[in-house]
Amino acid sequence: MALEPILFVFFATVAILSALGVIFHRNPVHCALLLVAVLLSLSGLFVLLNAQFIAALQVIVYAGAIMVLFLFVLMLLNFRGESSVLSPGAAKGFGFLFALLVLVELLWTALSPNGGEGGGMAPPATLPADFGSPAAIGRILYTTWLYPFEITSILLLVAVIGAVVLAKRKFA
Amino acid sequence: MQTLAVPLVAYQILAAVLFTIGVVGVLVRRSALIIFMSVELMLNAVNLSFVAFSRQHGSMDGHIFVFFVMAVAAAEVAIGLAILVAIFRKKETANVDEVHLLKG
Repeated sequence: MALEPILFVFFATVAILSALGVIFHRNPVHCALLLVAVLLSLSGLFVLLNAQFIAALQVIVYAGAIMVLFLFVLMLLNFRGESSVLSPGAAKGFGFLFALLVLVELLWTALSPNGGEGGGMAPPATLPADFGSPAAIGRILYTTWLYPFEITSILLLVAVIGAVVLAKRKFA
Repeated sequence: MQTLAVPLVAYQILAAVLFTIGVVGVLVRRSALIIFMSVELMLNAVNLSFVAFSRQHGSMDGHIFVFFVMAVAAAEVAIGLAILVAIFRKKETANVDEVHLLKG
């Protein structure tokens, strides 16, 4: 009956293994496709967390639009494989060291029993029936979060104009 | 299903591991494109954390934050890849160690 933990372990394993593939694979096209695997398994986890609309957005926006952009540039520019995959010498050592420090700190925070405030985490809340539905998200997005939403549209406009200007310019 | 069959801390640990993998990618890879992908990995780890906390607290504000993170990620990828194309035209490389135009 306990389907949810099995799905969690499955999606988590796929996500971690594919993520390791993204950063250690030599061929950039394989890296991009493995990143799609990470994004799709995260979308499965979003469904487990009652965030159906976000899961759909993840597939459409990330795995669809953003990854197509990546692959398009990848094919367009015809990158040769890097001569060596990793940075040489000390940079690599320090990179792994600092990443290990980040991991220790994050795990410390996640596993600290009191959640930092001495109160402990409240038990999972009971959810309203429409939790995570597009209607519920739209309702708070267009009321409580209206100004951030409008500012985001300006941000996207700036990004579009900036991308066109940057890609068109002829550098001497 | 109202109860959380998988505890919140499991999602947080997974998010921490994915974020760390992204950090490793940014720090040790030399191709600018792979570095962008690692940044996407980190953004997605944070999104997972947002959604898990949102589920725990029964509030949908976390979903809204994920929405905005996705918009910012889309803008970042568009600008970043445009810069990458511009650099590639000038230097014929995407290796971050060879791009030092601002160094005197």
